[in-house]
Amino acid sequence: MQLQPAMPRSWRVDTKPHKFCPGCGHGLILKCLGQAVDELGIEDRVVYGCDIGCSLLSWDFFNLDTVQTHHGRTTPVMTGIKRARPELICIAYMGDGGGYSIGVQHLVSSVHRNEKITVVLANNTQYAMTGGQMAPTTLPGQKTETTPYGRDPEVTGFPFQGPEMVSAIAREGAYVARGSISNMRQLTGYLKKALVNQIEGNGFSFVEALSACPTNWRTNASETWSFIDKEMHGHFKTGEFKTPGSGQGEVRADE
Amino acid sequence: MTLEFVGRTMDLEKGYWTVFPDLCKGCGLCIEKCPVDCIDWSDVLGAYGTPSVKADNRCIACGICQNICPDCALRLDKKKTKEH
Ligand code: SF4
Ligand code: SF4
Repeated sequence: MQLQPAMPRSWRVDTKPHKFCPGCGHGLILKCLGQAVDELGIEDRVVYGCDIGCSLLSWDFFNLDTVQTHHGRTTPVMTGIKRARPELICIAYMGDGGGYSIGVQHLVSSVHRNEKITVVLANNTQYAMTGGQMAPTTLPGQKTETTPYGRDPEVTGFPFQGPEMVSAIAREGAYVARGSISNMRQLTGYLKKALVNQIEGNGFSFVEALSACPTNWRTNASETWSFIDKEMHGHFKTGEFKTPGSGQGEVRADE
Repeated sequence: MTLEFVGRTMDLEKGYWTVFPDLCKGCGLCIEKCPVDCIDWSDVLGAYGTPSVKADNRCIACGICQNICPDCALRLDKKKTKEH
């Protein structure tokens, strides 16, 4: 056999090239996730759930048991599987439309109950599969199909801060971080920690990944990178927001 | 159903640089990220009938392109440096 592509072991070779657009960030996030799964050697215990929106195009992406469901309900579906079979490692993968808008209640309730699952959310600042409409994560001034003159925060608010919200309501034991496809080593590290947190049974694990959608952004490769590095990173801070053992976060009384 | 991919390997000074045209979607992300700017479009068509990529001898075998390709269409095998 000739030299073969260097894909993560957990990727399904026979479904490649995958269904995502050229330059799509999903491929990179799922590469990091695949590497994290490989490094932990947990392929035989993982159940992977994908949501509706472009994330559903990953239904045959991995050589892992996979479920697909809709509108942020991947989180409760994974919760159910985890409760029935606690020895499994359940990963809910979704976009910002499913996780922060249509299905945000599922995310909030699961964090509130401290479900021991891992949620990975791709943030590409708009609804991609339906043609690039404004999402809660759209940047101020960003043009989309439904904000042709740019998003006006006075009318539709500022970009939704997911990990900040999750860490504010999460209990001790939760792991919350935001990474980016422009720093894949860091993103892989966060995903690995989020999986370890579930394996150790500490609590809810959440990683948001800043992603790219060259198709709906209508960007070429250099504009894609500069939109992520200059625009998105300006509104969304990367880093770890909550790690197990860091306590509830202190609320200080006015001095 | 493709289970085996056919690569185009370029024997460069610092490494063997392989592109799998059946996986390359021509997004250009690798061209932008290469620190020495040695990747360019080639005449060989990729998965969607768009040009795939090629590299030249300026390559320093850093492996960034392999890492950044969302489709795993690139593979860099560093040549062992000779012992002195
Ligand atoms: S090799 Fe990969 S990153 Fe480069 S143009 Fe092709 S698909 Fe895009
Ligand atoms: S290995 Fe590094 S130097 Fe060589 S083509 Fe890839 S990114 Fe460029």
